[in-house]
This record gives sequence, structure tokens and C-alpha cells, in this order.
Amino acid sequence: MNKVMFFAHLRDAVGEEFLKLNATGKSVAELKAELGAIYNLPKLDTVMTAINEEFAQDDEVIQDGDEIAFIPPVSGG
Amino acid sequence: MNERYSRQVLFPGIGKEGQAKIRSKHVLMIGAGALGSGNAEILTRAGVGRLTIVDRDYVEASNLQRQQLYTEEDVAEKLPKAAAAEKRLKAINSDVEIHAIIGDATPDMLEELVKDVDIIMDATDNFETRMIINDVSQKYQIPWIYGACVGSYGMSFSIIPGKTPCLNCLLRTIPMQGLTCDTGGIISPAVQMVIAHQSAEALKMLVEDWDAVRTSFVSFDLWRNQYTSLKMGKAKFTGCLSCGEERTYPYLDKENRTKTTVLCGRDTVQIRPASQGEISLEKLAGQLSTLGYVVKGNPYLLSVEMGEERMVIFNDGRALIHGTKDLTHAKTIYQRILG
Repeated sequence: MNKVMFFAHLRDAVGEEFLKLNATGKSVAELKAELGAIYNLPKLDTVMTAINEEFAQDDEVIQDGDEIAFIPPVSGG
Repeated sequence: MNERYSRQVLFPGIGKEGQAKIRSKHVLMIGAGALGSGNAEILTRAGVGRLTIVDRDYVEASNLQRQQLYTEEDVAEKLPKAAAAEKRLKAINSDVEIHAIIGDATPDMLEELVKDVDIIMDATDNFETRMIINDVSQKYQIPWIYGACVGSYGMSFSIIPGKTPCLNCLLRTIPMQGLTCDTGGIISPAVQMVIAHQSAEALKMLVEDWDAVRTSFVSFDLWRNQYTSLKMGKAKFTGCLSCGEERTYPYLDKENRTKTTVLCGRDTVQIRPASQGEISLEKLAGQLSTLGYVVKGNPYLLSVEMGEERMVIFNDGRALIHGTKDLTHAKTIYQRILG
């Protein structure tokens, strides 16, 4: 099982701070595509992904127990 | 050492030597909005040698809630932010050489400006300018400090050429439809938290305490009580066109810039964004209506009333700003909504 956390407007779009789901064996890109379709999220290709608080590339494969966080960069200033 | 800086000199991380270094440095601040105001004030009070501030906008009433350098008088006079900031900063510390530039931070301007600059601080409100800063930083080997916020959410990351990943490694492309303060709102504490992170990093760099510079990417949400600090060891992208071996500095290239054109005889400016891609007009319409904008649309375009101007946005990101011939003003309006 994996814990998937959402920040900023993604949390509003998903409606939860985190989800528990099984993403083990999937790549980050696959998980992004899947969640994007289920929750009708805006494009996730520029959203940063962390696995266990470490920046992860889109091709990184998720292991059992990994905690994933999606962190959208924002532009306000 | 001047009594004025005594408390800062007492701080072991700075000391007399550090204060002398701060005094000898030149900081370039891109943007004089919320982040620019706060960062500029801190560095001015800290006694930096020179501060150059670039901003293309003027002071409006909706800025006063969080842009700490400005007053009602500046709004009444519609003063350019750079000019109003210069006036206030000189009153705060006359030792600091403040240089205000009223204009758009283009690649040409930045390449010229950075020649004797020690660090660049990001206080912009859009990713296009950040990518230009990022390329200039890599090309001239000058560190810069990314900071951004929207709502109660904010983030910061310090980018040191040759040492850390760069912004282009992290994003690979300019995000379309990044939330901005004009679409997602903003509370002042989120601004201040980003300023605290950015200005602390700036002080470390100015005193050349490179080991103290934060290597993680920090993000937080003050309303939802989240704080994360991402390790960035795996973030460097070897094929990066800004900092990789085969770098081309793509955002300094004229082809990749937002193109603004005045449409003849129509009092209209066309804006074509640097990165083409589909945006969700439906979502944007929803956000803008919630904020009270009058929005009309169809599957191909969205029309938004914005005071004296009207903006028509197409789903490839292109827009027409009706009611102006001023290219910079039109770009400001566009980036307020589309980041």
C-alpha cells in the first residue's frame, strides 16, 4: 500500500489531504495519469513528485510502503 | 562597525566580517510586488551595498493588503512600483545604493544587468520570467533564489549553478495555468513565510556561508498546517538545456519568448505564450467567475471583463487584450490570469 498526498489546489481538486492506494510497481508518470483521469485534475506533467520526501523523476518506480507527494509549483509573488 | 547593524553583527553567522561582505555586495531583485517589497526591505535594513529592482507594474489598491512598501498615496498617484519602492527604501536606509528600473525583465535587460551582480532574487509573478532568470543565472554563474506563493501556500528553492539542480531540471517546461494571486487569492502570512526563506538564503549567500545554504526544496501551507522539505539529490537532469552538458539557454532565445503584437487599428494586443499547450477554459472560467469576474465563453474561447480592458483567451493559451495598445501592460494583464 502507498500513501499519496496532495498540496495546494490539487488537494482541493481531490477533496482529501491524502489517499491510501496501491501504486506499487507503477511509475510516477503512470500514477499521475491514473489520478489525473479519476479526479479530473489539471495536467500533472509539471507537478513535482516526492517519494519519501525526496524529489522523484517521472520514470521512477514506486515501491511498497512508499509515501508519494504531489507538489504543484505556483507562480504568484 | 556602525551601531545600526550591531544586533546583526552579534549573530555568529554574520559577525563583523559578514557585515562587511553584505556591504560589498550587489543584489538584483526581479519584481517589486509582495515578495519584492519584503525581500528588498529586509536587505536594505541589513545594509546591502547595492540593490537593483526591476518592475513593470504600478501600485494599485489591491496591492496594499500585502505589499509592505506601498501606501495609499502611491495608489492615488499610480506610481510605478519600482519608483515607489526606491523612495521608501531610501527613506529606510540612505547607506544603500538603490537603483530602480521601470520595465519588463527581458533576457536582453537581464544579461546586461547581471554583469556585476552577486545574487538574483526572484520576486516575479510568472514562470516565463523565472525561466529567463534561470538561464541567465546558469550562463553567468550567479546564484538565484526562487520563491512563490498563492493562497496560503508557498515555496522556495536556492539555485546555485554547478551545485544544485536548476528550475528547468525540475519543471522541464513552463507550466501552463499556474495559479496566480489574481486567480487563487493570497494571504499576507504566506508571502512573509516565503520572504523569510528567501531572505535568509540571501544573507547566507551574501556572507558566503555556502555550507549553510539550504539544499532542499521547501513548500508549506499555512492554512492546512503542512510543511515539507524535499531532498533534491535526484532532481538534476543531465539532459537539461539550461544547466546540462549540451546547454543552449533556451529561454534567452527570441523564438521562445511570449510574443506580443499590437493589432493595427483595433486597440488590441495579441499575446502568444512561449509554451504552447492546451489550457482548460472550463476550469479557468469557473475560477474567474468565483472571483467575481464577468466571464463569457464557448468551447473555443473565453472572454473576461477586466475593468477597462477585455481579455479573450483561446484554448492554446493565445489571448487578445482589447482596450490597450501598451504591450507591457497587456502582458501584465495576461500573466495575472495565466501566470
